[in-house]
Amino acid sequence: MSGFARFWEILIAKLPVFLPYLLKGALVTLKITGATLVVAALFGLVLALMQRSRLRVLGVVSAAYIEIMRSVPVLTTLFVIYFGLASIGIQLPSFIAAVIGLGMLGAAYMAEIIRAGIEAVHHGQREAAVSLGMTPAQAMRFIVLPQALRVIVAPTANYTIGLLKDTAIVSTVAAPELLFAAKTLVSQTILPMQVYMLTAGIYLAMSWPLARAAHYLEARLSRGV
Amino acid sequence: MDQLIAGYADSLGVWLPPLARAAKFTLNIALLSILVGAVAGLLLALLKMSRRPILRRPADLYIEVIRGTPALAQLYIVYFGLAGVGLTLDNVTAAVVALGLNAAAYMAEIYRAGIESVHAGQREAAMSLGMTPLQALRFIVLPQAWRVVLPPGANLGIAVLKDTSLASAIATPELMSRAYDLVGQTWRPMPIYIVVAIMYMAMCLPLGQLVHHLERSVKRSDVRIAKAPARWRQRVSAT
Repeated sequence: MSGFARFWEILIAKLPVFLPYLLKGALVTLKITGATLVVAALFGLVLALMQRSRLRVLGVVSAAYIEIMRSVPVLTTLFVIYFGLASIGIQLPSFIAAVIGLGMLGAAYMAEIIRAGIEAVHHGQREAAVSLGMTPAQAMRFIVLPQALRVIVAPTANYTIGLLKDTAIVSTVAAPELLFAAKTLVSQTILPMQVYMLTAGIYLAMSWPLARAAHYLEARLSRGV
Repeated sequence: MDQLIAGYADSLGVWLPPLARAAKFTLNIALLSILVGAVAGLLLALLKMSRRPILRRPADLYIEVIRGTPALAQLYIVYFGLAGVGLTLDNVTAAVVALGLNAAAYMAEIYRAGIESVHAGQREAAMSLGMTPLQALRFIVLPQAWRVVLPPGANLGIAVLKDTSLASAIATPELMSRAYDLVGQTWRPMPIYIVVAIMYMAMCLPLGQLVHHLERSVKRSDVRIAKAPARWRQRVSAT
């Protein structure tokens, strides 16, 4: 029991040093998450629209991309982008490599989410819009997507939680986010348990509100559908 | 160009055998982790479904905490954290423990959905026939929950297989870690990591197909059950 008490004693004594340092990392984690979400949503929308295209080849390319991305670990994708591209002369900063690597996988998830959202909108909506003289693009932009959004929001929140946790992986390419900050602290203090527990606590503090929000949105939006 | 291709073919001959061995190791770690996750997950699901708060609350907390934190951070806690407080695990054990305990939290929710999909009357009927709750679970509920558990369970298995790549961060000698070593020796990251990506694909895509197949067959058997009386009637009227 004394070891347990000592653990907390050390943690509390070091907290004023650890916490600001880790929170700075957490801020980068949030930035990476936000930037990746934007990339994943935009690229995912393109992939989803490709699957609905009348040009079959676009749909096949999109489906193949999604299958491939989902069957390769994000760490491998990240290493191809960060170390692989560097070896052929394209040296990306770790933040950009992280956003691209996570975004490429995220786009595959977002494509499925957006596709499900679009399919949930009755096709009569689109037909009515087109018969009123809208172009297919206008019908998609003003009629279908706004209605699809309510189906898309809750799973997107769920994806964001997964993404937030996946950002920890980019610590392997030295992006200065939360887990990387923790690793640096551990190498300076040799107190791995205290530092990593605190780090896990910070991740939890970020993902828990998101999980609550996703839960709330699911309950709220499924009522209307 | 021919020379370049010939060069790659030679290099591939050197890279592939160690990578293939490492891929086998990856599969072993994944299997062990899934096993830990399947057993611990069932236990967690039963605790979570318990009526006693003293059993239910800790299980709830465990599942929330594991699902709310990155697997890589959990791996560091198990490997570096425990070593820091005097419990040193080797990097293979640490990987299996961390990935297995991570999978358990997700598996628990899958089991729970499966068990709840079995009508409560099934369990009550089994108990009224004199079975103990444990027997009812073992012989009546779980065999029926299985079909709901299997497709998402297999999906989780694929996720665990991909997550074994995280163990390279603690130098567990699996596929990603071996690739990292090879890159260090040759400084050819692009072809090596692409080969590794293809190897992961070769392991995950067939599993993905299996999940599709399971999902379809579960749906089909639902239809079969729903349609069964009508078909029997047809067969009877035909003869």
